[in-house]
Amino acid sequence: MLESLVLPPRQFKIVKYLCEAGIGVDISELSGFLGVKESDLMRDLIELESKQLIKLEKTVKYLIRLSKLGLKYLELGLPEERVLKYLMSGDEKVSLKELASIGLDEDEIKASLGHLRKYGLVKLEGASVILVKKELSAFLEEVSRVKELLRTHAEPILYDSVPEWAATLKRRKLVEVDDVKLIKVYPTQNLLKLMSEGKVVEGVLITNLTSEALVSGAWKKAIFKEFDVGVEVPARTPRLRHHYTLFVRYIKEILVEMGFEEVRGPYVESCLWNFDALFVPQYHPSRKETDVYYVDNASVEVKEVDVLERTKKIHEGVWKYGWREDVARMTVLRTHTTPVSLRTIYERGAGEYRVFSFDRVFRPDTPDPTHLMEFHQLEGIIVGKKVTFRELLGFFKELAKRLGMEEVRFKPAYFPFTEPSVEGFVKHPKLGWIEVFPGGMFRPEVLASVALPPEYKVAAWGIGIDRLAMIVLGFDDIRNLYSCDLDIIESTKIPEVILRNA
Amino acid sequence: MPKVEVRLWDVERIAETPLSLEELVRTLETLKSDLEEVRGDTIVYEASHDRPDMFSAEGLGRAVGVYKGSRKPVKYVVENPTTYLDVSEAPEYRPYAYLAIVENLELDEEAVRQIFQLQEKLHTTYCGDREFVSIGLYDLDKVKPPIRYVEVENASYRPLGYDNVMSLDEILRKTEKGLKYAHLVRHHHYPLLVDSEDQVLSFPPILNAEDNKVTEETRRVVIDVTGTEPNLMMKVLNIVTTSVSERSRNPFIRKVSIKGSSLYPYSPVLEESIVEVKRDYVTSLLGIDPIQVKGPHLLESMGYEILSLSDDRVVVKVPPYRIDVLSHVDVIEDLAISYGYNELVGGVTPPPHFGRVNPLERFAEYLREVMLGLGLQEVLNFMLTDPDVLSLVSEEEFIRVRNPKMKTYSAVRNSLVPTILMSVKTNSSKRRKLEIFEVGDVVRLGEDKQPTYMKKLAYGLAGDDYTLTDGLVVLKSLMNILGINYKLRKTSRRLLISGRATEILVGGESVGIVGEVSPEILISLDILVPTTIAELDVAKLFSALSL
Repeated sequence: MLESLVLPPRQFKIVKYLCEAGIGVDISELSGFLGVKESDLMRDLIELESKQLIKLEKTVKYLIRLSKLGLKYLELGLPEERVLKYLMSGDEKVSLKELASIGLDEDEIKASLGHLRKYGLVKLEGASVILVKKELSAFLEEVSRVKELLRTHAEPILYDSVPEWAATLKRRKLVEVDDVKLIKVYPTQNLLKLMSEGKVVEGVLITNLTSEALVSGAWKKAIFKEFDVGVEVPARTPRLRHHYTLFVRYIKEILVEMGFEEVRGPYVESCLWNFDALFVPQYHPSRKETDVYYVDNASVEVKEVDVLERTKKIHEGVWKYGWREDVARMTVLRTHTTPVSLRTIYERGAGEYRVFSFDRVFRPDTPDPTHLMEFHQLEGIIVGKKVTFRELLGFFKELAKRLGMEEVRFKPAYFPFTEPSVEGFVKHPKLGWIEVFPGGMFRPEVLASVALPPEYKVAAWGIGIDRLAMIVLGFDDIRNLYSCDLDIIESTKIPEVILRNA
Repeated sequence: MPKVEVRLWDVERIAETPLSLEELVRTLETLKSDLEEVRGDTIVYEASHDRPDMFSAEGLGRAVGVYKGSRKPVKYVVENPTTYLDVSEAPEYRPYAYLAIVENLELDEEAVRQIFQLQEKLHTTYCGDREFVSIGLYDLDKVKPPIRYVEVENASYRPLGYDNVMSLDEILRKTEKGLKYAHLVRHHHYPLLVDSEDQVLSFPPILNAEDNKVTEETRRVVIDVTGTEPNLMMKVLNIVTTSVSERSRNPFIRKVSIKGSSLYPYSPVLEESIVEVKRDYVTSLLGIDPIQVKGPHLLESMGYEILSLSDDRVVVKVPPYRIDVLSHVDVIEDLAISYGYNELVGGVTPPPHFGRVNPLERFAEYLREVMLGLGLQEVLNFMLTDPDVLSLVSEEEFIRVRNPKMKTYSAVRNSLVPTILMSVKTNSSKRRKLEIFEVGDVVRLGEDKQPTYMKKLAYGLAGDDYTLTDGLVVLKSLMNILGINYKLRKTSRRLLISGRATEILVGGESVGIVGEVSPEILISLDILVPTTIAELDVAKLFSALSL
């Protein structure tokens, strides 16, 4: 049951007025009462009608008023009347020229003569007009009828329909007829009932709802000021996840979904794990000082003597060179995360497992838009008896799909620790084919160094993920990935591909 | 990866077939080489490190011809030695040397250019920039064998590219190569290659002689490798010998025996190695057996000679220039390449276990969310940083790299405090107030020089109104959310203002610090706003969760 009906102040005034009047009221009347233009009232009226409180009756009326000509004849008399008077006051025969002297123009004279001839009061002879003596009463009656009409319409008069005479006068251009749309407002029975029960309440216009208004119940009489949503509002300065840690989470989610476990490993490594156990000969150019950060003031203890011994045998037996233990024991900042994978195989040994690591690696470089001395690698291995190169390629395809890139292409590649080795490319809508998935099957020599039984195989991959991070986050400059500049952090949007996947 | 420049017509004459560019690009892919540039007839490609036989037009033409079928795989016939190389007086520190002779050559300008390109690319890659192996080629008709590899105190000859005779000392001081490679020889214990009339062939690994250099007129060459790694030297010699012999319609390779102690009694050793590949292993490594699907020609087009083929195994001869082929897996890779990687793509088998994020990493994720919730902005920095900043902030040792490119990035951070301070510096001119945090790893250096790894959470509040109280408010809020009880204890650090530095204790153990950064340090770092800073150990917080 409706408790009460709260109306904005103006609407309340309208319904109150109507109820008091008890009958239909013209909108003009309401407009006068409220001191508001009719056009401004319409919105309130439509709302009230939609609430079934009022009924609007729209009608069309006709306003008849005198034209300029009508006003003139009202003052001077009708021209036919004036012509007749002139003829009767002097000679019965007058030239047309002479008639002009009484202050009528050619058209008026023509029209006047037409009227007079209709009543048989004049006739034309060449350029002269001759008065015919005849009964005048019919003519005078018509003249006085027209004049009476002019007189009565000196002020405009509204008609429900256009009277017959108005057409004649309109033809003579003595009057003008205008359509007038009129709205009449009636209170509905519903309104009258609610009003009599005191259920219609005048509301209070407010801009902010307050807790006081909520508690006191004043909100019940509240009418909320409407907002203009076109007005620009300021934006907040966000507190955001740094774009790179957000990207890391996104990538980790994908890998966890694919059944990978996260593993971590040391940043500072021995050459044994970073190179030798991975079958990289000590003379390999990737071990040069230009490509590796060597560390003198720290030394990673090589505790895995068995790995050291097996690695020595493998290098001496396969590569056949003077392998040096002191070189293998040198300390470096890891240049890739592959040692993390290899350490995991060493620790876990035989089994069926998938692990990944997403972590930092270091290579000497001078930072510029495309190079960094420290960057991330996404590394992973699939270990098992039935793991194949074919599956690795399939994994790349699936991973690319989950990263939002459907087209994948593979090319042969070389990495010292994998055979076969592959480089996977994905097609980016703007950048074309980009190199993203290096990987391969760990060489038997690598697996032998950590004593994985030969029936187990390992598909391995190590992605330079920052390239992908740049593409996903929309950066042209790789340095922005690691920026602590709040202007950059706050203006970096969360990419659609992350939002969709997350 | 070396960039190799060849002429298409030269490659075509070696491949014995006309080649379209598309054909060449496709074949380059199977040889792990990428086309870089085409300029008229000149083609530049990037060769893979494991295919040194691709470092010149000879190897490329040979491989392309075999792949296309216009050429048969080469059989290298090696004649018995008629001369020797005496290494009995070789220097101890570069004790090895080997020779090979190739006769019946027809050289032109392009051929000479390619042979020198091969030599140069090998030097910079496999030869360890001449440290392990140094290569030289000479016109055999201008030298008088037998050749001796000796150690001398000094000698004189006309070095390659120079008009006048110089002493070895002068060569080291005055020539570009001498200056570049002087570190590879010992003063007055110089290695030298001389012929029977004491004519100098070369001062390896520095510079050859002008008088017996290889020109377009050369018909017979003698190739030398000297160095420290005999097996690597022999592989390099094989590459050079087989490539040079491509410049003959009827190549004639002659062995040279070695007098003195040597790993090999003669050189070159061009015998093909024989590799047996088990076909079930092929299937288990690749997921299919390409031979069964497409046939054994896949191996032949990659240059292998099939000795026997049965249901369970295939035995192949590996050409001597394929020094990258070490075992059966290398042959299997060629099989996969020949089959086509893009046709090999398979499905993914379901994972054997559930995926999982590292627990500490996962905890760190929640810490980040809490810090954001407390209204601080996350920042990120490099682990490599400026050693001066690290020294300024703490007296603890940290890891320095021996060979930095820039001092700014030559140390590994041992705390997040320096990177938070540097972030304050970056932003303080743009923001009146800063509330930032970082979660990241640091590397500590113990007294035993062993690195240890720690994950840290640090935050900084910078601006005029911040004091220790604000730092403690953030700490309290964080600890409340984590449900960790803690105590504060006064502490003193060089980093912090005395009397405004506290240590955070959980269960009696220190888990971090909070305090106001001392003005001396702020000024030294050119940070002109008061800064309150805190650093907590993430692993200790993690284990405190169960307390």
